[in-house]
Amino acid sequence: MAMAAVLRREGRRLTQPINALHSSLISQDQAPHGSRSISTQVVRNRMKSVKNIQKITKAMKMVAASKLRAVQTRAENSRGLWQPFTALLGDNPSTDVKKNVVVTVSSDKGLCGGINSTSVKISRVLHKLNSGPDKETKYVILGEKAKAQLVRDSKKDIELSLTELQKNPLNYTQVSVLADDILKNVEYDALRIVFNKFHSVVQFLPTVSTVLSPEVIEREAESGGKLGELDSYEIEGGETKSEILQNLAEFQFSCVMYNAVLENACSEQGARMSAMDSSSRNAGDMLDRLTLTYNRTRQASITTELIEIISGASALEGFPG
Amino acid sequence: MASSGAVPFWRAAGMTYITYSNICANLVRNCLKEPYKAEALSREKVHFSFSKWVEGKPEKPSILLFTSHFSSSVSFNFIDRRFRFNFR
Repeated sequence: MAMAAVLRREGRRLTQPINALHSSLISQDQAPHGSRSISTQVVRNRMKSVKNIQKITKAMKMVAASKLRAVQTRAENSRGLWQPFTALLGDNPSTDVKKNVVVTVSSDKGLCGGINSTSVKISRVLHKLNSGPDKETKYVILGEKAKAQLVRDSKKDIELSLTELQKNPLNYTQVSVLADDILKNVEYDALRIVFNKFHSVVQFLPTVSTVLSPEVIEREAESGGKLGELDSYEIEGGETKSEILQNLAEFQFSCVMYNAVLENACSEQGARMSAMDSSSRNAGDMLDRLTLTYNRTRQASITTELIEIISGASALEGFPG
Repeated sequence: MASSGAVPFWRAAGMTYITYSNICANLVRNCLKEPYKAEALSREKVHFSFSKWVEGKPEKPSILLFTSHFSSSVSFNFIDRRFRFNFR
């Protein structure tokens, strides 16, 4: 069974998933009694399935690329929505408040690299940073993937979960209704939104945006901290400052959420694209190695058969006809 | 400003600024002429599933879905409630 040995040695050189092949080859050792050579059927089947997987990953990459193009311009345009708010109210992630809400933005579908684990990791860090004796921190989760990860160790702290956002193309109305639902269902002093900001197809920056409640903004402005400049603005119309701040904080949250959801969707498609690209490449490599193994085994069996025939013939030569 | 007088009223009705601005945006969308109007309204579809968690367990998710066609009047907020289905 020299061929089996060759195959097995090759099999070991291949990476993890080939173990299935390896074990099925061992069972080939117990082939029906009297069969002369092992079958290469297993390798051929394996090659076929690797080829099919490669086709699938290539198609997924194409789909992700076209979806990315659609969502990228929208994400880049939506940045103009939060920038004025940051100019006016600033972004103060270090503000120390009692009731923290961490809004984790993730995707519903997998196969998109590490973007969901990154945002979960950052959310956990924020949770830890903002927990204390008289403080409480809650999670609001967008998307299935972060929910699946956070349910394991901090399900007591989950306040809300929202999924199935991307059934239709994302739009502001949808995200604002969602933001409205969050605001109505949680009590907060500060909302910390965690998402992956799209930088390029291969680069995503985990980002935290902080939205403070109107009371906290007012308190900070009075104490003259980072928001001290807010008092220099004049207010038009008949509303009081607290009313204006309430409206602003609500609108700020919906705008920041809109941007966060779009950026994250964009990062998801980008990550999926590069993940699928590398898996098609891996499938190609695997296919190359399998083809090599297959051909080598076939060659070896032919050689053995030839040797057998020739040596049989030469053994007969000595005898008289 | 015409809207300044309205603030206490929509606040009292339990609306947030987001709901209020959505209703206003929708009114503007409804003022468009026809090919654009249908396009703008069909763009703004809302669909997501929402569940509140109590003591580490999710409650029954409610699926929220409606299109702006429904909310062409000012009853946005009430539509919001009416189209909340409970799924098991």
